[in-house]
Amino acid sequence: MNITQLPFIKEIYGFLGHDLVAAVIGILIILVFVPLNSAFLVWVERKVAGHIQLRPGPMEVGPHGILQTLIDAVKLMSKEMITPKLADKFLFWLAPIVIIIPAIVCFVVIPFSPLMQVREMNVGILLIFSFSSLTVLSILMAGWASNNKYALIGAVRAVAQNVAYEIPLLLSTMSIIIMTNSFKMSEITAAQSPVWFIVYQPVAAIIFFISTTAETNRAPFDLVEAESELVSGFHTEYTGMRFALFFLAEYTNMFIAASMGAVLFFGGWHGPFFPGLIWFVVKVYALIFVIIWVRWTFPRLRFDQLMNFAWKVMIPVALLNLMITAIVLKAL
Amino acid sequence: MGPLSEFKKYILEILTGSKSLVIGMGITFKRLFMPIVTVQYPRRKLTMTPNFRGHIEAIYFDDTKSHHCVACGLCVRTCPSHVIKVQGEKEKAGERKYGQKYYIDFTKCSLCGLCVDVCPEKTLTFSHEYELAYLSRWDGVIDIMRRLEAVTK
Repeated sequence: MNITQLPFIKEIYGFLGHDLVAAVIGILIILVFVPLNSAFLVWVERKVAGHIQLRPGPMEVGPHGILQTLIDAVKLMSKEMITPKLADKFLFWLAPIVIIIPAIVCFVVIPFSPLMQVREMNVGILLIFSFSSLTVLSILMAGWASNNKYALIGAVRAVAQNVAYEIPLLLSTMSIIIMTNSFKMSEITAAQSPVWFIVYQPVAAIIFFISTTAETNRAPFDLVEAESELVSGFHTEYTGMRFALFFLAEYTNMFIAASMGAVLFFGGWHGPFFPGLIWFVVKVYALIFVIIWVRWTFPRLRFDQLMNFAWKVMIPVALLNLMITAIVLKAL
Repeated sequence: MGPLSEFKKYILEILTGSKSLVIGMGITFKRLFMPIVTVQYPRRKLTMTPNFRGHIEAIYFDDTKSHHCVACGLCVRTCPSHVIKVQGEKEKAGERKYGQKYYIDFTKCSLCGLCVDVCPEKTLTFSHEYELAYLSRWDGVIDIMRRLEAVTK
């Protein structure tokens, strides 16, 4: 049954118009989903970390500690939001807001199923890339405004790292784009109905995965936070709910990165027997599990290793892959 | 080295590196499903190993239905921290002394174990007690005879 046929919804449509209702409902769903997803992912991360280290992970609050992150959120909300005396007050206040907005905006174009997409756009992929690159700005803002040497070093690293890894990320995505001739998320998904693109583009998939891990500042590329050297990097001075927003943004970015990976390489919502939504969510969480798994397996890179890896390995390989894809497509 | 062998080295480095990464991922994936070694402490407790050295306690012997302490005081004299206090009494003339009171101030004990080594009747041993948090300094004074009674009852 189409939901728009319900009399109540119909009345709202008549009152507000089709686009506005879709926007309001979409934003509501996103705003509910983002914090819940982050809470769940933090729990999953702690569980996976625990089991890899032969610990049980959180066990106390709720069955197998599933409510632990909700309790943590309550704790963070009740904490004082300290602003350091010598900090740039306005930028310090602005940075957590700027980091969470792109994370939420990117959800607009993610196709959860053929019907469940807040807004279809011709430039879906570009929208995600352009908004997620704003994250760097806010990290730099946070690091600079904190007036703290560790925060500033973390922020400077973030900029260098994100600039370096954006190039292989875009190049690996380009090899998909020239195969589908579209930036639309739904068209890219539709193009993979018989065979997933990971079969045609395994190298691009690996490069995409590594670059997104670096872009979302996850280990082994978490030089931005680097607990053992930089206290906790750019959010050293942040407390309470402001800190929680950085955390929320990190896990939301992870979800976006994983859903991009699912759309570009793993056929999005395509799959037998089950509806598209289930397939999409399963693929996304499987990819997120791999990201978490990688984090708890590998040690953090040194900064020169990180840069060398981006410029000497990732970019040449991605360029070569793109070139070969183009030649093959032209020859066919 | 020519440029070609440099290039070969570069490719080999990427390949061997990727291989070791995959091996590392395999190890952590296997550990993900291995049994957990952590114990949820207040609900489940571990049994200590036989050679665990807690504070000292008296051994129960079946022949006397009690300990073998004769209150000789060797442990008192050998103790480097002076934490042991023993009192005994002789019930009949010509009989051995019988230890009646045995206190240690565990807050100052260094767990050296000299008292256990020196005991001529071999009636001292280390307990397997590890929950040793006290609210006051006096809680750290352990009455070993009462402990033995509590164990035998």
